[in-house]
Amino acid sequence: MAIELSTVRYRYAGASKPALRSIDLRLDSGRVLGVAGANEAGKSTLCLVAGGFAPRVIGGRLEGSVRIDGADTTAIPPHELAQRCGLVFQNAATQLSNTTATVFEEVAFGPCNLGVPVPDVIERVWWALRAVGVEDLAPRDPARLSGGQAQLVALASILALRPRYLILDEPTSELDPAGTALVADALARVARETGAGILLVEHKTDVLARIADEVVVLAEGSVALAGPAGTVLADPRLAGLGVELPARVRLERAVHTAGLEWPAALAEAIE
Amino acid sequence: MGLLRRWVARQFTTRVIVLMPVGIAINIVLGSTVQQALKLPIYLDSIGTILVGVLAGPLAGGLTGVLANLIWGYLLPAPIGTTTIGPFAITAGVIGLLAGFWGQLGVFRPRRGGRASVLAAAVAAVLVGALALYTYARAYASPDAFVNITGFGATDFDRSRIFFLAVMVLYVALVGTALYLRRDVGAVFAIGSGLVTGIVAAVVSAPIAAVVFGGVTGSGTDALVAAFRSGGDSIYQATLKQGLLSDPLDKMITSFVVFFIIGSLSRRFVARFPNGENALGDQTEPTPEAAEG
Amino acid sequence: MSQASVAEVRGLPDYVTRRPGGFYRSVNPSTKLAIAAIEVVVAFAVPGWPMPLAVLAAVLATAVAARRLRGLVIVALATSPIVGSILLINLFLLPGASDPIVRIGPLAPTWSGLWFGLQTVVRLLAFSAAIALVYLTTAIDDLLADLARRGVGRRAIFVVGAAVQMVPRTVERAAEIVDAQRARGLDTEGRVWRRARGVLPLAAPVVFGALTEVEERTMALEARAFSAPGRQTLLRVPPDRVVERILRWAAALAMVAVIGFRVAGRLG
Repeated sequence: MAIELSTVRYRYAGASKPALRSIDLRLDSGRVLGVAGANEAGKSTLCLVAGGFAPRVIGGRLEGSVRIDGADTTAIPPHELAQRCGLVFQNAATQLSNTTATVFEEVAFGPCNLGVPVPDVIERVWWALRAVGVEDLAPRDPARLSGGQAQLVALASILALRPRYLILDEPTSELDPAGTALVADALARVARETGAGILLVEHKTDVLARIADEVVVLAEGSVALAGPAGTVLADPRLAGLGVELPARVRLERAVHTAGLEWPAALAEAIE
Repeated sequence: MGLLRRWVARQFTTRVIVLMPVGIAINIVLGSTVQQALKLPIYLDSIGTILVGVLAGPLAGGLTGVLANLIWGYLLPAPIGTTTIGPFAITAGVIGLLAGFWGQLGVFRPRRGGRASVLAAAVAAVLVGALALYTYARAYASPDAFVNITGFGATDFDRSRIFFLAVMVLYVALVGTALYLRRDVGAVFAIGSGLVTGIVAAVVSAPIAAVVFGGVTGSGTDALVAAFRSGGDSIYQATLKQGLLSDPLDKMITSFVVFFIIGSLSRRFVARFPNGENALGDQTEPTPEAAEG
Repeated sequence: MSQASVAEVRGLPDYVTRRPGGFYRSVNPSTKLAIAAIEVVVAFAVPGWPMPLAVLAAVLATAVAARRLRGLVIVALATSPIVGSILLINLFLLPGASDPIVRIGPLAPTWSGLWFGLQTVVRLLAFSAAIALVYLTTAIDDLLADLARRGVGRRAIFVVGAAVQMVPRTVERAAEIVDAQRARGLDTEGRVWRRARGVLPLAAPVVFGALTEVEERTMALEARAFSAPGRQTLLRVPPDRVVERILRWAAALAMVAVIGFRVAGRLG
């Protein structure tokens, strides 16, 4: 059970150059795959392609194959794509439908669109709110939430569709450290408890260091580095690829450069 | 029947459904806040409608116009809400439909050109204006002919010549401004379509205005209606004349603004709309990308 | 599962079902629309004074009972420009009027002009008040939820709901843009030509600002299965009663009758 991209090449409608050149990628159920890279490296495009939204929703030209659990994404209508693969974007405000009066109804928006019966809707909403840890926000007005809260509600409203995979495009970019930690922990919990496969695009490599199992680094539309999180995030080539090293790795480097010892006990304490 | 359903469905993709409220809001906000700031003798409340029409097609454009008027009139509280706007939903719908057809004909496509073609376009606009004026002068060569053909009063003959001249001068002026600002020959067609739309809008609005509140709308144009009525015109004639003075002007300016905006949007953004292909110019991308996908 | 969660799963929380309360506010939105429609038709189709005045009186009475009189007064005040125009134009320029009140040089206000003007004003006020009463006593949410229950598609509901939500935000943004451009030297007080140059610098930023979110919102909607076929589940259904159904049918029939009589010339 996985999302598989094979020799994927993608060009946006009306663009002259492809945004993704040759991508081979696999996102397994229950695993967290981190994606890093410089701006314009193709990370957001990768999210749209992996989730099937490109080309189904935004057009463009796709070469190669993208399969979700074996099914080709170009043959799946958008509302079914949404049930197999949830997409979360960086701006929380634009993800909220702006047509609901309470967070409860906002999270119920997805299941209601599918025509799910009312008792099931209620169950899914509470489950999603709990999975993300925001049950007490249920009566609140979605337009009046803080950035972090809104992003969590957006995540919950996608979870309410019970997707098997979650793709998140820089979900913490507009959040402060507290909000970032909330989202990161919620994601780790969701992966653990639901067995969903998570593809997480992040600039903040600390988040990836914390919750990702594997990491892929993109550069100019292709995969530059791939491997287990610990290995990739300590790779010296990261800086050249426009990716900031996680704080722990930078500290370790600085300590080594100063000629000091990096004791194992310290490393463990930071983990 | 299936073909019709598909034609309808094609125009109402999710993206269009998201665009329509934006168009409606643009109509209402520009028609109230900005219009109050500038206090010009125009309405400025159709930019959203025409934009949606050009990008998404006639049905979406028409519906945007109708809903904008209904919401403005019946769902928004004062001071923005104005109950007298509601009945003109019909006009707004027609404007949107027309804009959709102009869009499909590629009228709003940017056509950037070098110095030579820009100059040629300017000359063409002046020629078109002069030709129209000449045709008008010949068609209504005498006051009698004017009265016989149009049914307006004899005193209107002189006024109408001046008015026609003014409209043509304005057309040339707007085209000139557009050419100066953007070096874009398409302005000739876009603003021309605004002129036609304006005339149609005036003709459609006149009976509505006459019937609903006797030609009065509470805006500055009432003075015009009063002036015409004091000259002996019936309510319908007065509202028609007032419309023919305000609407072409308003729609030409509106089309100019929409044309400018579409030319400034990124190709990626425009291409994804049902009618987007007809609104895209050639390869070279204008800078900067104003609305990113 | 704990006790609390079982109770929750059983039903919708109160803040979701939120039934509106209060006189006239608890009436079904479609009924209120039907009542407003028949009021408007009657005010326009039946010539003379009695009908528009009756409609105005009915609306005022309802507004007082529903404690919304203040809102109605604001609406009436908002119509003062057009009321003024109607009165002035008809007072001085009613064609064929020959009973002047007084002569002030070339101006001759007429009694029939005043009469006709006042009639038109009353009609206008009845029209505005009847419509205003609907939105003063109905939350947009409830109106849209009721339309959804009656089969209006989710896309139309979304367009109207999102538009109503967007307008206040866009008004604020437009005001900021006007201020910013004024600070940059944009002339909004000078001659017509100078003000006309302000159209593009004001309109373009407002439009661009409003367009930036279109792409993201489209994705967000698709990600929430907005384009799924079939009917959506409705969580909120404003209550409806048999009495109100009868009332709506009666109003519809009355509208047809009045329009029919008017067209047939039987109302004079």
